[in-house]
Amino acid sequence: MGPLHELLDQSSLFLQQLVNGITLGGVYALIAVGYTMVYGVIQLINFAHGEIYMLGAFLAYTMVTVLHLPFFVAFILTILLCSCFGILLDFIAYRPLRQAPRLAALITAIGMSIFLQNLALMIWGSQIKSFPRELLPAVFSRPALVLGEITVSWLQIFILTITVLFMAILHFIIHRTQVGTAMRAISHDKVTSALMGIGVNRVISFTFAVGSAMGGMAGILVGLYYNAIFPTMGYIAGIKAFAAAVLGGIGNVPGAMLGGGVLGIAEVLGAGYISSEYRDGISYAVMIAVILFKPSGLIGKPTGDKV
Amino acid sequence: MSRRTRPALPPGLIMPLIFLLALLLPWIPLGPSSNYVLRVLTTAVLYMILALGLNIVPGFTGLLDLGYVGFYGIGAYTSGLLAIHYDLSFWWILPLAALNGALWGILLGAPTLRLTGDYFAIVTFGFSELVVLVIRNELWLTRGPMGLPGISPPSLLGHTLTKDWEFFYLVLFLLAVVLFVVTRLEDSRLGRAWFAIRGDEIAAQCCGINLIRYKVTAFAISASIGAMGGAFYAKWFKFIHPDMFKFWESILILCLIVFGGMGSIRGTMLGALVLIPLTEILRAVLPQELFSARYLIYGLTLVLMMRWRPAGLIPFERAQEALARRAEARIRSRRGGEQGP
Amino acid sequence: MKKGYLGFFVSLFLLAGTAWGDAIKIPVASPFTGQLASFGEGVKNGALLKGSEINASGGIRGRKVKIVLEDELCDPKEAATVATKLANDPAVSIVVGHLCSSATLAALPIYRAAKLPAISPASTNVSIGKMSPFYFRNVYKDDFQGLFLAKYAHFVKGYKKVAIFYEVNDYSMGLMLAFMKEAKKLGIKILGTEAYTADTTDFKPQLTKFKMMKPDAIFIPGYAPQGTLIVSQAVSLGIRNAGFFGADGLDDDLMLKNPDAEGLFVTTPFLPDKAGPRAAGFIRAYRKAYGKDPNWFAANSYDAVGLAAAAITAVGQDRVKIRDYLASINTREKAYEGVAGKTYFDKNGDCLKDAFVKEIRGGKWVSAQKQLRQ
Repeated sequence: MGPLHELLDQSSLFLQQLVNGITLGGVYALIAVGYTMVYGVIQLINFAHGEIYMLGAFLAYTMVTVLHLPFFVAFILTILLCSCFGILLDFIAYRPLRQAPRLAALITAIGMSIFLQNLALMIWGSQIKSFPRELLPAVFSRPALVLGEITVSWLQIFILTITVLFMAILHFIIHRTQVGTAMRAISHDKVTSALMGIGVNRVISFTFAVGSAMGGMAGILVGLYYNAIFPTMGYIAGIKAFAAAVLGGIGNVPGAMLGGGVLGIAEVLGAGYISSEYRDGISYAVMIAVILFKPSGLIGKPTGDKV
Repeated sequence: MSRRTRPALPPGLIMPLIFLLALLLPWIPLGPSSNYVLRVLTTAVLYMILALGLNIVPGFTGLLDLGYVGFYGIGAYTSGLLAIHYDLSFWWILPLAALNGALWGILLGAPTLRLTGDYFAIVTFGFSELVVLVIRNELWLTRGPMGLPGISPPSLLGHTLTKDWEFFYLVLFLLAVVLFVVTRLEDSRLGRAWFAIRGDEIAAQCCGINLIRYKVTAFAISASIGAMGGAFYAKWFKFIHPDMFKFWESILILCLIVFGGMGSIRGTMLGALVLIPLTEILRAVLPQELFSARYLIYGLTLVLMMRWRPAGLIPFERAQEALARRAEARIRSRRGGEQGP
Repeated sequence: MKKGYLGFFVSLFLLAGTAWGDAIKIPVASPFTGQLASFGEGVKNGALLKGSEINASGGIRGRKVKIVLEDELCDPKEAATVATKLANDPAVSIVVGHLCSSATLAALPIYRAAKLPAISPASTNVSIGKMSPFYFRNVYKDDFQGLFLAKYAHFVKGYKKVAIFYEVNDYSMGLMLAFMKEAKKLGIKILGTEAYTADTTDFKPQLTKFKMMKPDAIFIPGYAPQGTLIVSQAVSLGIRNAGFFGADGLDDDLMLKNPDAEGLFVTTPFLPDKAGPRAAGFIRAYRKAYGKDPNWFAANSYDAVGLAAAAITAVGQDRVKIRDYLASINTREKAYEGVAGKTYFDKNGDCLKDAFVKEIRGGKWVSAQKQLRQ
């Protein structure tokens, strides 16, 4: 094997890892949006968001295998259901605590996360489930692009397209529509916004609905991509997505996308080139470093402590 | 707030009395299952210690610490490794583990405690996950997923502890020490500074309280109590494994103090005393499939308590009131002494 | 003092037993729920079958046997709690159990302190044997299994370059070390080793590295829930020419649902069509009771319950006597003849057993055409 060959092998290894990393990053970005929007509006880390993502995967799985719905119907229904879940979650758990100390809301969020995770454990059991291949569109399992040693599957392209598409739509909603303006107003000052005639609770519900829809969608895509659906899947993915949101600058939708991408690539390259044992550690370390040294994230605005 | 004056026992006597009663427990004949009951009680007391330690951070200073299990794990591994490699006595290991816990508490706390509440919570979470990752992967030190078997049991005056009642007495002794420290702290300058921070950070700062220094002290003391709990746990179980220090443990301990009353020492202890044996009862009553989802109940407890009874079973305010009364009485008696009859 | 207590309890129980004629408890501790529940299912089925057979033929010394299932979720903490419960139950004189080695290691000190003998049908980790004189197992150890796999990969499959994808746990790492040691002797080149943790589902970064190494085969010394994901993600990355193989941890029907796993082979302590004549009745009864072929967990737990029953039949319900009885089965001549071969213990309570190879053909487990004689 000549040195040229070696170089070619090394570079295609790198490119393939990059493809893996970008796909993973797209998924993190989709989940991170939910954290970042909710945090932007009510300054709460919605720990239960990872569980919405998990529920998305399980709901789609149940619709496809038990109700025998076609995949794309299940996909859309799941997204709708997840946004309802988001609204419900806010209504039941967080709304009563709007005036309470932040510690109370945070503990409630953790409680909800644990409750939902174990509820899923009771309903679906702890064994890993996967979508039966014959019930999915056949195109998903086919490679779209094979360049030498590099493979890109249709599923990867599907995931990335959806991520970019929905990010663009969200960006539009936040900056060009009335409800988006209301969201931004609330994130600046809840009380004044209410005095200005903004239905604060309605806008917060909308935020939860959109964030949860994206989370549920991410759940389905990940369930497809890795072939694995299980009750604790939301816990690690959720934390990593939160790290991505922080990395990009919390409260900032393009930031979530950037953070997701960077974190996904860092994690995959770290696992590929540094140590696969410390793979999860890389995300946590990145997160801690960002929080300590640049809490406003890569492209977030420095916010300063609100007094 | 109503000021009921309660006669009966002077407050200083209640705790010693409870301890005396606890000392009698092993000698109540419960038939063949008495050892099992003792073991459950030992677990409950261990969690009381852990909960008292955690309570210092969210309870006294109002900061959410999700990484407590990291210090528990550090203590357990410090204890296990010292016992295996250096054959140190438990009475050396205990302070060393506490010191190591405090050291890590300061290392983590000093840079992170200036963060706002939610960021602090998430960083502590990241820390505890990193601790477990290191324990799992650094085989040369911890044997990683093989666990650390063969930890020698503690001994006292040349007598090696083996029986369940001996461990029960040992853990009660530790509880007494921790309880003493924590009650003294609560009623000290340090404790009052913490409560001030919990009440209103900015106001506290304006009163001249150095926020970072007091927060780091709280975090370090909390960490060292967690590490002491871990040190006992390793010596008691004689085998430790990275899986024993998962995030769930942090949640369970948090649940104990939220249930009992965040910030209130008696509430925290009551929380452990109710919820830990309850777990064992659930184990007996529920079918296994449901039992493995028992954290559902803990999650629900957190949510419901926050919604309807955020102060817990024994609210912090009442503890505060008692403290205030005691301080008042002290001042009055001192004044009385000065002025003469 | 301890002994006094124990003797007292045992005699108390024996009195009670003769007076009321209640059943002899044999607890079986394994994960029956959780991720490894499908392993536990085999253990449960095998034990219950043996229990009902013993009862059908008159029980032990005229008393019925009651198999009590104790679920420990493969979690060391749960295992310790279960062990405490069993150790303090005077009606328990022997335990069949623990499947995962971390659970076993957590339970060991408790059994040892209570002088309660235990026999594991499935815990293969090397370090366990030396930990307690009260612990036995009727399954081979990982050092043997890893060595066997290396030999099979070399002599039967002719693999020259192998990559290893292990889980960060005691079982997987023990197997990997044993495999690597033997592979070095045989001249199999280990291209690389990569790790994963049990809660991961994304194996692509590590597999991408393997892809560039172009191995003849990828050795997965882990458990089936992750094993099946690894195989399908490898195939989706375009790793097509490499074979996949694993150890008894992959011996699970979960693998059969994965069309990409065709051709994968594993070691196993028991194969229905390679088992001796003794096993024929067991296999028939098992098929009738559960509608499928027994796997090795079922066969070994059937034998473990058999051993426990044989011990109680011989020496009664004294814990120490049972331990001495099991320890005395130490030569091939004195071996307990079970459905999964002869069981006899060395001084550590470990045993030597045959290993077999099975592979996935047409979506079913079948015995590999070529077996390796030891």
